[in-house]
Amino acid sequence: MARVELNNVRKAWGETVAVDDLTLTIEHGELVSILGPSGCGKSTILLMLAGIYAPTEGELRFDGQVVNEVEAKDRNVGIVFQSYALYPHMSVRQNIMFPMRFKQVPANEASRLVEEAADLVRVGDLLERRPSQLSGGQQQRVALARALVKEPQLLLLDEPLSNLDATLRMTMRSEIKSLQAKLGITTILVTHDQLEATTMADRIVCMKAGRIEQVGTPDDLYSRPSSLFVAGFIGAPPINLLPGKAVDGKLNVNDFSLTCEGAAAGDVTVGIRPERISFAEGGIPGTIDQTEPMGRETLYVVSCPLGSIRVLEAGSKAHRRIGEAVAISFDPSDTLVYDSRTEALLGDVRARAPS
Amino acid sequence: MAADSVAAVGQPVIEWDTLAARARSRRRWTMTALYAFLIVVSVPILIPYLWMFTISISATTGGTDTFVLWRAVAILGPAVFAFWPLQAIFEDGKALQRARLVLVAVALIALAIFVAPHLHEHNFRFMWNRNFVDELRGYGGELIQQFPSVWVAFANSLLLAGAVMLIVVTVATLAGYYISRFAFAGRSTFLRSLLVLHAFPAMTLIIPIFLILFAVSEYGWILGEIIGLGTIGGVVLVICTIELPFAIFIMKGFFDAVPWEIEMSALADGASRRQAFVRVVLPQVKVGMFAIGIFAFIRGWEEYVFVRTLLQFEKSNWVMSLYLFWVADDIMGVDYGMVAAVGVLYVVPGLLLYVFTQKFLVQMTLGGIKG
Repeated sequence: MARVELNNVRKAWGETVAVDDLTLTIEHGELVSILGPSGCGKSTILLMLAGIYAPTEGELRFDGQVVNEVEAKDRNVGIVFQSYALYPHMSVRQNIMFPMRFKQVPANEASRLVEEAADLVRVGDLLERRPSQLSGGQQQRVALARALVKEPQLLLLDEPLSNLDATLRMTMRSEIKSLQAKLGITTILVTHDQLEATTMADRIVCMKAGRIEQVGTPDDLYSRPSSLFVAGFIGAPPINLLPGKAVDGKLNVNDFSLTCEGAAAGDVTVGIRPERISFAEGGIPGTIDQTEPMGRETLYVVSCPLGSIRVLEAGSKAHRRIGEAVAISFDPSDTLVYDSRTEALLGDVRARAPS
Repeated sequence: MAADSVAAVGQPVIEWDTLAARARSRRRWTMTALYAFLIVVSVPILIPYLWMFTISISATTGGTDTFVLWRAVAILGPAVFAFWPLQAIFEDGKALQRARLVLVAVALIALAIFVAPHLHEHNFRFMWNRNFVDELRGYGGELIQQFPSVWVAFANSLLLAGAVMLIVVTVATLAGYYISRFAFAGRSTFLRSLLVLHAFPAMTLIIPIFLILFAVSEYGWILGEIIGLGTIGGVVLVICTIELPFAIFIMKGFFDAVPWEIEMSALADGASRRQAFVRVVLPQVKVGMFAIGIFAFIRGWEEYVFVRTLLQFEKSNWVMSLYLFWVADDIMGVDYGMVAAVGVLYVVPGLLLYVFTQKFLVQMTLGGIKG
């Protein structure tokens, strides 16, 4: 198990910068998720940690030792790719055995470890099959067993669940999480799926265009997103983001004025989570534009002077009809105000609806 | 009858049995037409081989009798054509199979009765007697020993084809891997020029190539002995050069189909670059290596123009194509049975190779799709 540090790491191919000035520490046994849209450099980080790419600048440390120059084969890192990357010409047993071939382990000990690893991920009875004879979920487990068999100090998962169907994804999510907790292995999960990140990870690293936007617990990222990007990226249905202008203690959004609590000036964006808005008498008047029953909750799109606002209400049945006149309100403590230019959270600024 | 009740509801009557029968008969006629076409187009390809083989085991020295040839054709021709009506007559697969076996048996019995008594192996005497020309002409004192042993030529051909195969497979595999995996300046130009080189008629280069090999022989010291004019090594290199562009292109395609992630996985699993290449990547392109290897071997085996130009100075360097040419040149008209016999010996290895490796060749034309 390793403590992993990235210090001012940069990776560039000529003019193209994939990762820029990235500093991050991952503790022993932690499950950290790197979350971001495709092309944000998250897979590059993984491949640098695995030793496939060498960083252009900066240093990688495992347990305090710089490993920049250590070859992939010597890093003792297990990796699972989105495509599983099983060796098609080998049986499941040979696949899981492959990493053991490069270790000084006696043959019978190696095959015992292979069977243990296979049993751990419940593919013990598939050992003689070829990868092409396995379902997606089984291939995923085999890939996991292959990554775990050599008892790596670091487990890297590159979009491990995105090729699975929805039900299987949920099962594997909890299985991987409990396996990780049981083995206590430092794990980095790269994903573009916020649900995967928030449900599995101890901490999330949200990235955009090669840079870290925010690092924190899933709750930190959800309730106090430190930038407009994080706010917009995390949460489904997405947060309401209302561009406006702060003038003389007022926040003007469209033609509507909110009271500004705290010091703000210039272009700002007000963010409010849909479930933090409620229907209440005497609030901001509007009409229902659209209803989307989502199971436990119902999403309403309300058109009001602030613009088009998403409101999430508990209850599976849409008991408000399209066209119905409603009034919405929110608590100022639930509002997030961002500087539109720097996209940064103005931590002590709140927006209040006029009463 | 069900039709009444259906009609009563006012829906169109669907005769499933009729439709099924129609589909069956359509399939049958398609197959019949296909067989007819395949039989007709294969005749011009098969007949020369049949003739060559029949002549090689039936013609006599000085004789011009062709009755064995015509008898064989008269039996085998109808037998092959009969596959076609059989296909049309028999609907049931098992019955068809039985009918075909009967057909083959009848043809074999007819061959045994009408053809077999006239067959002999005398035309193959060149295989153990290299003085056949002297014997034909009658000994006039000392032996001329015009021909080297056919086995020398056979071994030389094997050596030439084997060396071409080895070099082409090795170089094309490594080059294809590099081009597929690494970005380097001029990569796309290189790829395009590979195709242009393949389209280039190599025959036009025969004089420059001759001059180059001549220069190597003259000024190349030890190299002249290995790859100079009149050496098998020289011809091997020339054929490899001509074969390589296309082979590299094919191998590049095969490597393109191997996902990069498999290789990265192997590296993370503890393999070195070389181990990852050998144990994980190469097995995925095995089919491509087989295919280009077989093509290279056959190319080397059948080569005539370059060996005629660059290799014929020493009898000990003759390959099969040269041997066949000189046999034909010397005794055609006197003993064409022997010419055919040499031809048979020449054709057999290539034929066997094709028969046993068809599987790989077919996969290559499909573009490296792996099962």
